[in-house]
Amino acid sequence: MIGESRLLSVLSKMVRRSRADAVSVCAHAKTRQVFRFAHEAIHQNLIQEEANIIVKVIQEHRIGLASAQTLDTLSLNRCVKAAQEIAAHCPSRNGLPHLPEKHRIRFLEDYDLETEKTSAGACVATLKRLFHLCKGAGSELAGSLVTGVDEFAVVNSSGVSCYSASTLAGIKLVTLYRQLSGYASGVARRWKDLPIDSLLQQSLKQVLHQQDPISLPVGTYEVILEPEAVADLVTWLSTIAFGAKSVEERMSFLAGRMGDTVCDPQITIVDDGTDPSGLRMPFDFEGVPKQRVVLIDEGKAAGLVYDSHYAQRFNHPSTGHALPPDEVEGPLPLHLAMNPANSSLAQMIRSCQRGLLIPRFHYVNGLLNQRETLMTGLTREGTFLIEDGKMRQPVRTMRFTQGLMEALSQLRAISKERRLIANPSEDLGCAVMPALHLAKFKFTGRSES
Amino acid sequence: MSANRLVKSARARPVFKNLDLPCDLVTDLVRSLARRGVDYADVRFERHLHESLLVEQGKASSISLSESSGMGIRVLAKGSWGFACTPHLAPRSIQKTATRAIDLAQASVMLNRRVSPLAAVRAVKAIHRSPCEIDPFDVPLSKKLDYLLWANTTLLGPDSIQRASTHMDSYKRHKLFCSTEGSLIEQQIIECGAGLEVVAQHGNETQLRSFPNSHHGALAQAGFEYVKQLDLVGGAKRAQQEVLQLLRAPTPRSNTTTIILDPTQVVMQLHESCGHPTELDRVLGQELSYAGGSFLSPECLGQLRYGSPAVNIVADATIPGGVGSFGFDDEGVPAQRTELVHAGLFVGYLSSRESAARLQLSSSSGAMRAESWNGPPLVRMTNVNLEAGEATLEELLRDIKNGYLLSTNKSWSIDDRRLNFQFTTEIGWEITNGKLGAIIKNPLYTGITPTFWGRCTGVGRPEDWRLWGVPNCAKGEPMQLMHVGHGASYARFDGVTVAPAR
Repeated sequence: MIGESRLLSVLSKMVRRSRADAVSVCAHAKTRQVFRFAHEAIHQNLIQEEANIIVKVIQEHRIGLASAQTLDTLSLNRCVKAAQEIAAHCPSRNGLPHLPEKHRIRFLEDYDLETEKTSAGACVATLKRLFHLCKGAGSELAGSLVTGVDEFAVVNSSGVSCYSASTLAGIKLVTLYRQLSGYASGVARRWKDLPIDSLLQQSLKQVLHQQDPISLPVGTYEVILEPEAVADLVTWLSTIAFGAKSVEERMSFLAGRMGDTVCDPQITIVDDGTDPSGLRMPFDFEGVPKQRVVLIDEGKAAGLVYDSHYAQRFNHPSTGHALPPDEVEGPLPLHLAMNPANSSLAQMIRSCQRGLLIPRFHYVNGLLNQRETLMTGLTREGTFLIEDGKMRQPVRTMRFTQGLMEALSQLRAISKERRLIANPSEDLGCAVMPALHLAKFKFTGRSES
Repeated sequence: MSANRLVKSARARPVFKNLDLPCDLVTDLVRSLARRGVDYADVRFERHLHESLLVEQGKASSISLSESSGMGIRVLAKGSWGFACTPHLAPRSIQKTATRAIDLAQASVMLNRRVSPLAAVRAVKAIHRSPCEIDPFDVPLSKKLDYLLWANTTLLGPDSIQRASTHMDSYKRHKLFCSTEGSLIEQQIIECGAGLEVVAQHGNETQLRSFPNSHHGALAQAGFEYVKQLDLVGGAKRAQQEVLQLLRAPTPRSNTTTIILDPTQVVMQLHESCGHPTELDRVLGQELSYAGGSFLSPECLGQLRYGSPAVNIVADATIPGGVGSFGFDDEGVPAQRTELVHAGLFVGYLSSRESAARLQLSSSSGAMRAESWNGPPLVRMTNVNLEAGEATLEELLRDIKNGYLLSTNKSWSIDDRRLNFQFTTEIGWEITNGKLGAIIKNPLYTGITPTFWGRCTGVGRPEDWRLWGVPNCAKGEPMQLMHVGHGASYARFDGVTVAPAR
């Protein structure tokens, strides 16, 4: 961990060093300790430590961007110089937004020293115990275990100075038994909050069945989507629909539809970088505090996320959703949440006549027809046929091709319980999702040859 | 073999003097690791430069330069791996990082019982440089921007155009690899590429067209000369016409029919349904928690009919210009041309020294690649190519009564064992009685990998064969984005399920 004083000092020096009209420097420093394992062995273990510093200079209405993956003074000097040179050669642009002003944020609530200091020995001992439990159950185990630290900082020439530090721990457990595989994952800010044993039991529960998996005909099925499957879909939706850029380019299904009913009125989707149940991040890469944005409000198209560039274009305040300045995707929501209701997974299963229980999807793609939110993807581990309110048999891999908003318009129930879904190996993004019971979901293929 | 040629060329030059790489630091570190009793260690220093230019709506909207350098240390101790990395080259940082890598490996020993043998590789001292006539970092920024602006403004005009973007990317990578087995390898790889995207909208209809390929696929190990020959301005005119036509085009009928994939779409077909399932680490279960497994289990090797006799697929890291080419992989194994599918039969894997040894293969296929200094190498694609056949496009079309020609990938998805795939493309053309007809929008096709390739009834001639890049192949935890290459000509498939994406 670099630490608040050192990181802010490095960034402040870069701001002072630049002689541009305006300058903003952001940093993301991270450490990840990762163990990947399969078939009674750890096949990859690593410690990754890096700091990515991006400087944006504005000089006479010209922007230059440069980045460096180091805190080395000489390299950072070169980085500032490169940004200035780029700006000097760049065509000028009228109407550039002003840099955000005077936000000063310090946020350390999600940092846990014990998690940062989790030793390799402790991780391997945990895995050894899990392997032992799996062996006892007659199952094999594969997966990954991650601990890490993230530090974000932004300093600019208009008085912004923001810093946050947080830790995280995560695990993915794939259990294998005969023809079946099971899956469970968890992520938490603190190592001790990771429910490792219950996750293993959840994964084992999916595989320790006497029945072999069956193949079902393609067609439309009732589905119960567990939180991770919901997150797979809603995260794709967020990348194609909820950013101001996709609306400006008319690629988003929300273009021209604000205020329209787009799905069942029980559905409310928000982005909230301040929600403690998610992996919160209090400010964006411009140093603007994160706003809670209601994207879908009781079934109606309600809002978009903005950075300072699109805020100016849409005459709307920034919502604190700027990505790193060298990203070209425009602002995106990274802390999605769907409001819970009052059902439960058990109630959903009991009320299902004939349908599928789906824990997660594989390889979802939402680029088929973005205006219709048409997505495809596949079932993976732990998919079960439900008949007459009971889980009957595991089901082999099936492919869906389905308009998501159409599916969300045929809602049966939303669970009260929600889960935090995130990939701890990755830099950004999380979703806090309930389970959903949908009346119709179209399956268009199977995986057998 | 080209690897021998590379070694010879290295001996003919003054090695390790040109690139300002920390050669002494790296070799000293490897010697110190050897003294600390590891079974094996390698150290990889890398320095990367990436320039990215984006022009949107007639204006330069993003110009960025990123620089990154550091050292990755990989050790094998008592059969377990450990990897640690640092951007700091001060002796204290390096020794601390080395200790971390050793500690990680030793911690795993309490769980790992199986020793990881490594397939043998000959130690070499070598240098490799990718072909480059005009270093893109020497070309004035204004010249590159002018070119993008010219193409970009060609896209603008009609009211229906919602977005016009043109982009150019240049990469320069210096790598220095040193192992306890005595290899010392220096490589310089330069890549350059460019392209455009145009989005048009009319009423509720929005369409997208890219040129020369989607997903930044026009990328080559070459200099600025590659970008100059792409003819973005000429391509912009065609892309604009096609995107406007797509707004009013019909969708394909849902049926089972014959399709011809143009090389831009064969790229994604190869990538997803051949490249990934032949990665041996996936086969061994090492990607189960993220990318998935593979249907090409070890008993399939040399036995499974993957495709028709027209299908010959190779992984070729020696081909000039491919973004999956190199002199040596990140384990010091020479670049190779490996047959994956021969006359339809599955015959080879992409492998590492460790995974090759696990299967008792004679050697690694030289496919261990890391995105950068801060990640360990993984089994990755190199240039996975469908070898050219003999047919012209006219000959492939000739006996098709009804079908579609599909071009330029739009969406992609395949199951975790790489069997059931589904793709959509940006554009298609009807084929009727052997002739190309009207444009169709939103075409979708789907299939099962060996069934689909088994119905390959023709592959295009070498004159239409072209190498493309996929610069965003994701794999691993933490995810590493790799540049991989795919070469292809046209390919024809019978009995394919086609539908409109709606």
